[in-house]
Amino acid sequence: MEGYIKSVVLDTDEILQTYNDNPLDFFKDKKICLFKACLEYYYPGIRTCLKSMLEDFDLQVSTSLEQSCCSGTFLQRNLITRAQFAAINERNIVSINEIADILIVSCNGCYLSLLRGRKFLNSKDIREKTTKILKEFKKDILFSPKLKIVHILDFLHLIREQIGERLKYSLNGLKCAVHYGCHYLNLLLDKKDIHSFIAPKNKLEDILTILGGSIIEYQERDSCCGWGASQNVIHRDEALQITFNKLKSAESAGAELLVTNCPTCLYSLNKFRDDMKDLFGESPQIPAVHINELIGVLMEYECDKYCIERILPLIEELKI
Amino acid sequence: MATKNESKNNWDFFNRIITDVDENWNIIQCISCGKCVGDCPASKISDFNIRKIVEKVLIGDESILKEEDIWYCFLCNKCSKICPKEGINIPLFILSLRNEAFKKGYNIPQLKKYVKMCKRFLENGTVMKESDLPTERIEEIKKICEFARIKYLHKASKKNIGIEE
Ligand code: SF4
Ligand code: SF4
Repeated sequence: MEGYIKSVVLDTDEILQTYNDNPLDFFKDKKICLFKACLEYYYPGIRTCLKSMLEDFDLQVSTSLEQSCCSGTFLQRNLITRAQFAAINERNIVSINEIADILIVSCNGCYLSLLRGRKFLNSKDIREKTTKILKEFKKDILFSPKLKIVHILDFLHLIREQIGERLKYSLNGLKCAVHYGCHYLNLLLDKKDIHSFIAPKNKLEDILTILGGSIIEYQERDSCCGWGASQNVIHRDEALQITFNKLKSAESAGAELLVTNCPTCLYSLNKFRDDMKDLFGESPQIPAVHINELIGVLMEYECDKYCIERILPLIEELKI
Repeated sequence: MATKNESKNNWDFFNRIITDVDENWNIIQCISCGKCVGDCPASKISDFNIRKIVEKVLIGDESILKEEDIWYCFLCNKCSKICPKEGINIPLFILSLRNEAFKKGYNIPQLKKYVKMCKRFLENGTVMKESDLPTERIEEIKKICEFARIKYLHKASKKNIGIEE
């Protein structure tokens, strides 16, 4: 991993070496901040459930008032330059670094933006431009911030045993399919390190097994949710074909619930069911949820109505 | 047989793509194996073919800038993961092609769908309807984006010069 990325990523393997019995102990004296993803607007449970769980574990949690959107969508459409993008992301890191030690990111897109911004800084040209932009606000690039960033799946996987001990309900064998999302599965950073590149990515399956779910393999497990860097804004009808195929594939393999770790994928997997009916003559019925929401319901935390709507019928049906 | 002149033009296009992002240099290693096409979501829903696009850049065929194809890429990175060559980064390469297309003014229909999001980001600091970001931070974002395309799009939305929301 290159310098600017390595210095900001939380090394969960290292934590395991020292805190193998209870990795939560590592976080006890740390201030945790939750990164706000734009699409949590539609699924507030992604953050509230995670916050409730962390508080339940007696951890100190906050969000940053100064954090802006990660601007990934504008970089993808060439509406901002790489230096501007790096400045927006570095500015968020600088703010959050002042109030927290750990930043948990529950969205693949935001996580990629934060890391990609840092990756761009490895180029001298971009670093100079970014420095110049930040200087205007009397801020500077942090080569080695105190703040460490962790992806939600890496975090939940690290403390999965402790989560298991707190559950009020179990999934009781509910058939679950997983959706990781391209920006988790295909991170290019992994290609540099042959071990992480060839290692199977199955943290979500591990967590769901602890929640009591049984895992369903399906053909389109690794395919895109259809969002595709706003393809479902730009070429909506075509992109929905990808979403439809994915949902149908999970359904026909017998899955009763589709669990993801990304709010953007979740939006894509949930929001367009009616459009699918118009386009393809049928609308897949399988509910999709974010792993944070699912944990929240199983821990009996107060959840928003959208969360309840999708998960509760299943739980009632199972009489868990 | 290619004349001297033609070969100069060919490398011109390639050079511009490298000037944009030096990592794009790596596409020269492409062996046309086509592995990248197999599982590409954009290929499943359109005529998009990333192997052919790489090839066209290498032979200097700029016609791809005018075509809709480059706007179909999902930036999902599946191809780069599966590509047998070490440093080929397709999403960054596609972004550079889109950048070139922008410079030549070939992208107006794409812009239209982004007006609302740009407006929200520059006025709220988020792409959503509501935000609690302090005014100073919103001002910072506007400043960071000064002279960026996003700013022009935002201005266009205010002047209502034919770009609808
Ligand atoms: S990044 Fe683009 S070219 Fe590569 S697999 Fe995804 S859609 Fe296809
Ligand atoms: S997989 Fe890589 S080497 Fe093979 S055609 Fe695609 S870009 Fe070229």
